[in-house]
Amino acid sequence: MKTDAKMTQIDITDGDFEKFREYFYRKTGISFESSKRYFVDKRLVERIEATNSETFRSYFTMLRFQASGEELQLLTNLMTVNETYFVREEYQFQCLINSMLPEIIKRKTDQKPIRIWCIPSSSGEEPYSVVMYLLERWAGINQWDVEIISSDIDTGILQKARAGRYSARSVQYLPSHWLTKYFTKTGDDYQICQNLREAVEFTRVNLSEPADTRPYRNFDVIFCRNLLIYFDDVSRKAAAETFFDALNPGGFLCLGHSESMSRISSLYKVRKFPEAIVYQKSLEAK
Amino acid sequence: MKRILIIDDAATVRMYHRNILESIGYTVEEAMNGIEALEKALQEPFDLYIVDVNMPKLDGYGFLSQLRSEEIPQNPAIMVSTEAAIHDQTAAFRAGANCYLVKPVRPVQLLTHVRLLLGEESK
Amino acid sequence: MAFVKKQVTETVSEDERKQNRDCADLLVGLADANATTRRWAARDLVDCPGSATALVERLKIESEPSVREVILTSLTKLGDPSAIVGLVECLRSEDAALRNEVVEAMKQLPDDVAPIMQALLNDADPDVRIFTVNVLESLCHPDVEAWLIEVIDHDAHVNVCATAVDLLGEVGTQAAAAALTRLKARFGDDPYIQFAADLALKRINED
Repeated sequence: MKTDAKMTQIDITDGDFEKFREYFYRKTGISFESSKRYFVDKRLVERIEATNSETFRSYFTMLRFQASGEELQLLTNLMTVNETYFVREEYQFQCLINSMLPEIIKRKTDQKPIRIWCIPSSSGEEPYSVVMYLLERWAGINQWDVEIISSDIDTGILQKARAGRYSARSVQYLPSHWLTKYFTKTGDDYQICQNLREAVEFTRVNLSEPADTRPYRNFDVIFCRNLLIYFDDVSRKAAAETFFDALNPGGFLCLGHSESMSRISSLYKVRKFPEAIVYQKSLEAK
Repeated sequence: MKRILIIDDAATVRMYHRNILESIGYTVEEAMNGIEALEKALQEPFDLYIVDVNMPKLDGYGFLSQLRSEEIPQNPAIMVSTEAAIHDQTAAFRAGANCYLVKPVRPVQLLTHVRLLLGEESK
Repeated sequence: MAFVKKQVTETVSEDERKQNRDCADLLVGLADANATTRRWAARDLVDCPGSATALVERLKIESEPSVREVILTSLTKLGDPSAIVGLVECLRSEDAALRNEVVEAMKQLPDDVAPIMQALLNDADPDVRIFTVNVLESLCHPDVEAWLIEVIDHDAHVNVCATAVDLLGEVGTQAAAAALTRLKARFGDDPYIQFAADLALKRINED
């Protein structure tokens, strides 16, 4: 009988690292420099052990062919920092104010509201950030109505978003005068004000369910950040197609900073603005 | 130093071209399809593009036609393909390629064309 | 002006998106002059078994990229034998963009395309063989490495071999080592084959 001296050190060779790096880049568009070797190895070893894989090779095979794609999702989570807080990836809100909205208004022929869709809503930091940006930084708010819809599959998190109570950590990057203006300190937390809570419509939507997404139409801007990177290839392509139909011609789709449309779909035109790269449904598209 | 973007879905091909170009000091970046290449080129245009024909999402022709319609410096592009048929070459030039090479590409051949297109014949 | 809320979302009134349409209507919609109608029809046909042939026929003539993309997603979700047959037909298209799109769709159907891979690897058209090796990347089939070895041992076309070596750099084991060495000898004057085979061998020998 074997003794329990299993402690075999899992070693990631140069070749393993290269193979993993190429695969991960192909799937996600995220490319690790060799200087990130320690960071990557550490997480790979962690997952190899957690899945009871014997070797890197057996783990890698499982990762590539697992039908559910769950392991790739877990690993992507480990390899990317995903934290929700107010004004996260702020450059995109600046892009909204300085570049996208001016373009949208210029070609608008009616006085209907400008429509913005945030999905996933998560606990609400993103849609509320959009509201504050529009109020504080966009003169157009005096001339235009804006409709903000924020959707998530998780009804629990939607409750939290509607309630609008946040930790100090979550509001740490907000300008202090915005914090004073729009929040009330409640114990250790910060309660967002009623006006902001009323500015956002929260709805439950499963992005992969056509019956759910069917009524979502005529949006000018969609924020879908740090979600599709966790979907499998077919689901993320289908999601991009759903957004395409939800957008007005010329409408914009914003993805998260580690996400690229190059791994998802060829439906959109790449648009470079001074603040950010976003994706646009062509003006001619019906 | 001149910056070159290698656009190919095959990792080994990117590495092969990278080795050749870096050996004489070019700065090289990679993209695995036409959309990623456009994202990179729009961020900061490259001095030269080496473009594969067959790629997922957006192929070499699609990439070149879109690149050529952007208001950025229109720098040269070499199209690299497995097909030698005349109609493919015509399509490549029509899409905006400045040169067409058939795979597998030899290092000397690649460097000759790169220098020529970058106006560095004497390098 | 201000932030407004309406009843959740717009109602879909446009006739391009009628609810509960039957499959016969959708097939008609697939040929509509309006691209949005075609796109919606292609999407909803995913719930109509037996619609793959019609989708493929449309794919061959469809010029609007957004409709093509949706047709391919629906074919991928259908994944039935007529979808596979149709995709393989398109692999021979003169349209380079379509061929690339089809390779991507086939990669999403690894179990369904596995039985025809060997026949395609022996196709007379080297481009079809290259595309087939591309598809193999997504296949979790016990014979993938053996098929790749067969390719690098016997395929006369250097670019088919080059594509196979690229994949062996990721999936190759000791079993491929001898064949990689033979390939280097067969294309002794080709610097790319030397480079790619050496890289695959280096990785295999590290294991």
